Amino acid sequence: MKKIWLILRNEYLRHARKKSFLFGILSMPFFIGLMAMVGFVSVWMEYNDAPIGYVDPNQDITNPLQVPVKEKKLLKPANVIPFENETDARTALQNEEIQAFFVLSDNYMASGEAAMVSTSETGSNAESDFGDFLAYNLVKDKPPQLAERLIDGSNLIIRSLDGSREMAVDDWMSIIMPILAGVLFIIAVNTSGNYLLQAVVEEKENRTMEIIVTSVSPGQLMAGKVIGNLLLGLTQLTTWILFAVLAIKIFPSIIPIDQIPRIDTSNLVLIIATFFPAFVMVAAAMGAVGATATEAREAQQITGWFTIPILIPLWFANTIMMNPNGPISVAMSLIPVTAPIALPMRAVFTTIPAWQIILAITLLYILAVFALWLSGRIFRLGMLRYGKRVRFREAFSQGGK
Amino acid sequence: MSNIVVDRIAKAFGNLQAVKEVSFEVNPGEIFGLLGPNGAGKTTSIRIILDIFKADSGTVSILGGPMTEEKKNRIGYLPEERGLYQEIPLERCLVYLATLKGLEEKEAQTRISNYLERFDLAASRRKKVKELSKGMQQKAQLINTLVHNPEVVIIDEPFTALDPVNTQMVKELLREERDRGTTIVMCTHQMHQVEELADRIALINKGETVLYGGLTDIRRQYATDGVLIRALNELPSSLPGVQEIRAHNSSTLLKFEPGQTAQSILNMLVSKGVILEHFEIAMPTLDEIFIQVVNDGSSAE
Repeated sequence: MKKIWLILRNEYLRHARKKSFLFGILSMPFFIGLMAMVGFVSVWMEYNDAPIGYVDPNQDITNPLQVPVKEKKLLKPANVIPFENETDARTALQNEEIQAFFVLSDNYMASGEAAMVSTSETGSNAESDFGDFLAYNLVKDKPPQLAERLIDGSNLIIRSLDGSREMAVDDWMSIIMPILAGVLFIIAVNTSGNYLLQAVVEEKENRTMEIIVTSVSPGQLMAGKVIGNLLLGLTQLTTWILFAVLAIKIFPSIIPIDQIPRIDTSNLVLIIATFFPAFVMVAAAMGAVGATATEAREAQQITGWFTIPILIPLWFANTIMMNPNGPISVAMSLIPVTAPIALPMRAVFTTIPAWQIILAITLLYILAVFALWLSGRIFRLGMLRYGKRVRFREAFSQGGK
Repeated sequence: MSNIVVDRIAKAFGNLQAVKEVSFEVNPGEIFGLLGPNGAGKTTSIRIILDIFKADSGTVSILGGPMTEEKKNRIGYLPEERGLYQEIPLERCLVYLATLKGLEEKEAQTRISNYLERFDLAASRRKKVKELSKGMQQKAQLINTLVHNPEVVIIDEPFTALDPVNTQMVKELLREERDRGTTIVMCTHQMHQVEELADRIALINKGETVLYGGLTDIRRQYATDGVLIRALNELPSSLPGVQEIRAHNSSTLLKFEPGQTAQSILNMLVSKGVILEHFEIAMPTLDEIFIQVVNDGSSAE
């Protein structure tokens, strides 16, 4: 056990101290931050907080009020100013006191029509700010709860027939979580799997392997490497999650935390329960490939084959969402390589029978243990073989011992 | 009781029979030379002893029985293909490998510091392994092999890349280890090093043990009937009882006829008025024995 810990620690620190790891871990939040900043700057450049005018010939809007700003916002909505007539509004527009003005039609209450007049290009916010102003002023005299309901709409919930499962229609987090988790899992498994692969190939290339295996068993070596690299993957994921939380805390006006729906705990447990054995399975396979390959580039060409099957449910996302209990959805949630994404995705839309969950997770764990066992044998055969690939059937022969 | 007992081991890789039948024993506190030409099966035999490969047949007993995880901590191994992590500092690399041999980190650090001083590597402790010269890396490998005070040491070509000063230092180190009771198996092509250090040898050729025993016994076994002399006066062109007279390095080899002995030749030389400066029974060098055995094996085939 101590030797597994030593290998695990060495494996983790050896990679975590590398500049390439730090670059990899920080580049994702940096890239997202950069994209967000570019997006914000482009919105900001098109934003115009100069007042907007309007002419209301029929006085449909009585005692107009500005829309109250609930949260701190970086970009404040433009003030909306009433004008007696179109001539006054035009004068104000020509004097650049306003960026544009709207003229409500004679039958506005029936048609909802309003024409916008502007001399130059208006801010991207002009139409939405004026729309919010109209909506607010039209319902402001109603009871507050009714006004809020009319403006915010309803929270529709879909409930399963037996009542055990329910989900809000706009609960985008529940829908996106298994997909997002799947994508993050693929990135993490690829990154850490590749580190594992590199480590094994490197030890083989620099001949350290021969020294290591006279100190520890191939099983201990593989276990230490797989867990060490699993922790690397988790470090990467945790760092990204921390950056996301930090971004939410620092920029609450951009990412309002109260608008993020709660994450379904049972789904989170399901994701963890399926991802762990899936990771072990992929990592063991990558370790075995590393042991059989003679150089890193050759090994990397093969690794894609281990992650592509995990991605398959994403191609069938629509089928799973539309028919979560259909044969394709059920099959994909039971097949070990597709289960890590298919099972949590199905769980969002339906109540999965307990036997299916138990069977899927059991199969995953069996396959993970089998993958570890097989990779241990392949590893033993391939670790000191240079220039000649290990054949699959050799792993099952006596020589694999 | 022998620390290593190799009994008729065999190993094939597909159609290639790497080891056919290799047997030998190594005792505690001896330096044992494992010799053989390239591709003879030495490295495969060593890997079988170390449980890296499983033998197809035959048995290996090390430190009193089959290899176990616990025994791995009692064995030091210097493989022919040197291997250290190239991208990490030397000291960290050695400490990590020493802890895998069961040493506590602090103890490993202390011992490695001492070895680094002794091997003149202390100034390079924080350098990345790849920044060290071949000779320095070789010394680092030796530290890794010996740092945990193993009871059995298996070293493959320990003098490669070492200059004469460091070669001498390594020899002293190996003698110290032997005197401490360590069993040392030394694989090398450098026969003079084996002659200098080893007590007994096994010669492997084409996967089989073709020569095995004490160094002196083997040399005696292959001794030609002759003496090496250096005379202060000129030798006659022919001598009674002597078949052949030829120069051999700074001496002269007298190969005698059947029935003659070294004593009779000595008496004859004195009677002929030859003033002797040096007289010794001609024993073949290990190099000569090696070449003869390997060539005999080839011609027999």
